[in-house]
Amino acid sequence: MKRYNIFYFIGQAISSMWRNGVMTFASIAVLMSLLVVIGGFTMLVVNIDVNLEQFGVMNQIVVFCDRDATEEQIVDIGDTINKLDNIDTVERITKEQGLQQLKDQEPDLYNDVTEENNPLSDSFVITYINNDKVPELDYQLRQIPGIIKVNNRLELATTIENLKSGVMLIFIWFLAILGVVSIFIIINTIKISVFSRRNEISIMRYVGATGWFISLPFIFEGILIGLFASVIGYFIEWYVYSYVENIVVSDYLQMISVVPFNDIKDLVLIGFIGIGVVTGIIGSSISLGKYLKQ
Amino acid sequence: MIDFVNVKKAYPNGTMALKGVNLHIDDGEFVFIVGHSGAGKSTLMKLLLREEKVSSGQLFVGDYDLTKLSNFRVPHYRRELGVVFQDFRLFPKKTVYENVAFAMEVVGTPRKKIARRVPAILNTVNLAGKQDSFPNEISGGEQQRVALARALANNPKVIIADEPTGNIDPKMSLEIMSLLLKINKLGKTVIVVTHEKNLVDYYKQRVVSLRDGLIVEDRVGGMFSEKI
Repeated sequence: MKRYNIFYFIGQAISSMWRNGVMTFASIAVLMSLLVVIGGFTMLVVNIDVNLEQFGVMNQIVVFCDRDATEEQIVDIGDTINKLDNIDTVERITKEQGLQQLKDQEPDLYNDVTEENNPLSDSFVITYINNDKVPELDYQLRQIPGIIKVNNRLELATTIENLKSGVMLIFIWFLAILGVVSIFIIINTIKISVFSRRNEISIMRYVGATGWFISLPFIFEGILIGLFASVIGYFIEWYVYSYVENIVVSDYLQMISVVPFNDIKDLVLIGFIGIGVVTGIIGSSISLGKYLKQ
Repeated sequence: MIDFVNVKKAYPNGTMALKGVNLHIDDGEFVFIVGHSGAGKSTLMKLLLREEKVSSGQLFVGDYDLTKLSNFRVPHYRRELGVVFQDFRLFPKKTVYENVAFAMEVVGTPRKKIARRVPAILNTVNLAGKQDSFPNEISGGEQQRVALARALANNPKVIIADEPTGNIDPKMSLEIMSLLLKINKLGKTVIVVTHEKNLVDYYKQRVVSLRDGLIVEDRVGGMFSEKI
């Protein structure tokens, strides 16, 4: 038996989609909504992560030394910090470097401040490994002689983490509900296609066509629905994201950074096509179960 | 060779459609299956087509033991059969040629072989010259001949005709029956399910009569049984 031309199956799938235009349109629309929502939430989470990293609130503690501490004492403080548990990196910022950083950020504000009247003290920027052990680390740092202030932003990080978890929870619920609705509508679309071709299918079965031969056009129909939904969804996502990006960049310039769509467009397209096609295949396979079994 | 050995068929709703059928049909035989509605003719057909499985007993068709046939093998088994229905079941948007070719296409027959075989089959059923017509452009008898040609397309060993003359006029019915006999003479086993007494009596072939799920009469050269 020869291998059947793939274009035969695709042709059958397209003609079936055309015949059941309304249901095909509904399937594409719902699946596309699912993809846009998935894409939107994913990019929201990605942007939260990027901003958290940028603000440096994650995994970071800054300690300030006594202004009267000698160079030797400051070096000792650095050594003591390095010996503590849960430490990833320790970076010393001298009071001169601290002043320079401030001048770089706001030149006008710190014009009058010189190295002679510099009010800053030396500090250490510490990154830690484990969030859960931060209170313990915080306590240990406060016990080191010569440290006058421990700037621990765990609370802020926890708040943002909680926000992220909340977004993820809503995202998962949306995903589940829209996923089920999409599969349900695709199942019905394919069932209608099967029904409209029942005469043809019954003849195929009687002359000995295999279950796969009968089913493949419907599987391709599911795949095509997934493909159309993902490509249209991709362009909608692109447009909406770019629109939001413009608003955020113009209104909150320098406060919030937005990952440019161009940086992630390939990933979004691949993700959309993957999810769309898999959903289409699942939907059509469920509605075709009995034909595959003969 | 077709062998029903004490075949029983019960449906999930409790209906006992066949209550122990024993029937042997040799290769190349012509058999009428007769009986009134509810006698078990349709169930017998469904079992032969492996649309339904036997509840108990054994059923053999050629080399296939249908009681053990896996779903995967069913399409291969069906290629040994040619089926003709009362309502023709042709594709209205396909030509006569395409309707016949379709049966060969779906089992993956090469195009060149299809192009050679279809005209030959159409010639066998006296439809040469009609290959480009659509079903709505030909008569009921001709439509049934297209269905017969389609049943022959994959060169099956057995032809099963379910009330093949039910939707056509008496003259056409004789023509279809003559064709089925002609096909039988070519070496095919032909099973015709019918309740048309006139035809059965006229052709005097083997007649198997069913009533209430049992064979009540089986006669070679027989007439439409009075027992049903």
